[in-house]
Amino acid sequence: MFTIVKKERLNPTVTKMVIEAPYVARKAEPGQFIIFRTHEDSERVPLTIADTDRQAGTVTIIYQIVGGSTMELDAMQEGEAICDFVGPLGMATHTEGLKKVAVVGGGVGCAIAYPVTKKLHEQGATVHAVVGFRNKELVILEDEFRAASDRLVMMTDDGSYGEKGLVTAALEKLIQEGNAYDEVIAIGPLVMMKFVCAVTKKYGIKTVVSMNPIMIDGTGMCGGCRLTVGGETKFACVDGPDFDGHLVDFDEAMKRGTMYREFEQHAREASCNLLKKEAN
Amino acid sequence: MATRNMDPKRCPMPAQDPNVRNKNFDEVATGYTYEMAVSEARRCLNCPKKPCVSACPVQIDIPAFIACVASEDLEGAYSVLSASSALPAVCGRVCPQENQCEGKCVRGVKGESVAIGRLERFVADWHREHCDEQPTVPQQNGHRVAVIGAGPSGLTAAGDLAKLGYQVTVYEALHLAGGVLVYGIPEFRLPKEIVRKEIDGLKAMGVEILTNMVIGKVLTIDELFEMGFEAVYIASGAGLPRFMGIPGESLKGVYSANEYLTRINLMKAYQPGSKTPIQKSRRVAVVGGGNVAMDAARSAKRLGAEEVYIVYRRGMQELPARKEEVEHAQEEGIIFRTLTNPVEVLGDENGFVCGMKCVEMELGEPDASGRRRPVVKEGSEFTLDVDTMIMSIGTSPNPLIRSTTPGLETNRHGCIVTNGDDGLTSREGVYAGGDAVTGAATVILAMGAGKQAARAIDAYIRGKNA
Repeated sequence: MFTIVKKERLNPTVTKMVIEAPYVARKAEPGQFIIFRTHEDSERVPLTIADTDRQAGTVTIIYQIVGGSTMELDAMQEGEAICDFVGPLGMATHTEGLKKVAVVGGGVGCAIAYPVTKKLHEQGATVHAVVGFRNKELVILEDEFRAASDRLVMMTDDGSYGEKGLVTAALEKLIQEGNAYDEVIAIGPLVMMKFVCAVTKKYGIKTVVSMNPIMIDGTGMCGGCRLTVGGETKFACVDGPDFDGHLVDFDEAMKRGTMYREFEQHAREASCNLLKKEAN
Repeated sequence: MATRNMDPKRCPMPAQDPNVRNKNFDEVATGYTYEMAVSEARRCLNCPKKPCVSACPVQIDIPAFIACVASEDLEGAYSVLSASSALPAVCGRVCPQENQCEGKCVRGVKGESVAIGRLERFVADWHREHCDEQPTVPQQNGHRVAVIGAGPSGLTAAGDLAKLGYQVTVYEALHLAGGVLVYGIPEFRLPKEIVRKEIDGLKAMGVEILTNMVIGKVLTIDELFEMGFEAVYIASGAGLPRFMGIPGESLKGVYSANEYLTRINLMKAYQPGSKTPIQKSRRVAVVGGGNVAMDAARSAKRLGAEEVYIVYRRGMQELPARKEEVEHAQEEGIIFRTLTNPVEVLGDENGFVCGMKCVEMELGEPDASGRRRPVVKEGSEFTLDVDTMIMSIGTSPNPLIRSTTPGLETNRHGCIVTNGDDGLTSREGVYAGGDAVTGAATVILAMGAGKQAARAIDAYIRGKNA
């Protein structure tokens, strides 16, 4: 069983959990993901790993409560155990040889952008972090990013914190200032990653994105996570989740992501009703 | 000795009515009664050459178990079965008997062969329902073997090695043991309770099964040796689903058969209130003609689809599926569009499937596989009105183990290369079998490979420690 060692609310909809999973912790690298199942009858849900403590044998996940499955997980408390926690899955983010990198994180995607920022920083690369949130209330991991980057640009959609505007504008400004990045790593909503890629393509900067499509097994068996990269079909679970952003067909990925929107809507309502009933 | 039953016809298998069963997920074939089984068993001539045994991948002493049934010694019959097969209740249900034991039965020359599969199922079910006795834990010999994959091949190897006294640990990537028996084959063909009981039997024999362990990621094969295992059996299964490479395969509503069946079986999407979503389809096309295609089509029908097509590029004669599955599918109202091949999937403005453009085929000269090659009929293009498309055209091997095991030889398809029948790979102490070696095949062939590998591993470890 996988015990929840620590649970911390980072903002109204984002939670951090530290989970005892020694086998996963032994091998996990930034960019890899796990699949969890809260209960015996729960869905299998992929989440990219936010942090790892090999000595303590723990893995940190940071999730946004978006549907029935994340609500179920969020109902669990410290000391309780979740049913399944498998990983590390997928390929680690490639960081070798990178000297100067811009890491762009959007919303809860910052949870995944942080470990790679930290790794690059630890290996001596110059790292500029550009992080964006809708508003001040939703900001997460600010101190962590500040400690692991040479420069942190904080953006909010409404200007309630940092600068007002989108991460794409901030990134473009950095590039125009003369920062020559070996690579840009972008992690966040599909639409954000798509537009980051549009900016970097203009300047010919290699850009790596982390894809998080619908998947079941996470080992290559179901093919549900397939996406088109450079005209070829790839499986995010075994070939990714990182891909060359200039080759990813984002429009297709966005469409595929809405496959079960209606079902999820119902599941979310059902979970809400259940929680309300339990509360009464 | 009871009198021999010389009826040229076998006793039919009782089954749910096709128009009832195509709306539920209960088992289709309900099984022989005691009387039917005994009477059918008495059709066996107990002929001296036993051609059936030579055609069985796990070499069950078929005439011996049938003789026990004929003389109403069902526990005796079960002992014979379990001496050769770790999963008799499963094999009795899913083996392609017509190409194996029953295909060689002497009674088949001038009538119908003895219903060996049905008798096997009857005996295994009878034992499960009437016997609570736990299997005896064999005397342990102090040697450890790791098995990768808790599917039919891995479980068979684990069972055989445990019987020989080995301490066996099975590593399973999913959250549940059983492999294709739990994620692939549907409840209506193989109830999961039966799989669970067979696996419980292995556990009671001392086999340790660890789930959520993706070998190649969480541990490598080299690390397994460092942990003290003396041999490793790789039975990791078939792997990545193939797609056709035609336009529109990324549309919403295009599934691999693996995904469709995994959602339904492993994740229980067929049960009301399941948390796993599955598309509510009206008209479904399943592309392919194997057992997996039949399972997907029959599942789609049960989930309420009005029309379900099997779209296959060769003819009815060439369908690779088990005969019984094809017959059951036809009875349940699945429409066979053979000699038909999709060329494009059509989508609506929201990115959902709204049709499938197909061409008609005709059979030309035989190809390398000996089957007649299908060629496109000029000007035959037409559109099939479907909202779901399930691709069931095979799989390619999973890269997770080969990419993390130095020195493990694979062929140009990515399948693990083994030395003949015993499953030895290019690495000392590493054996492999089942779909990871052969590419997608059958449960029983995977079990046969597991059996042979267990024997080879035993010989290897004994030789090493002699």
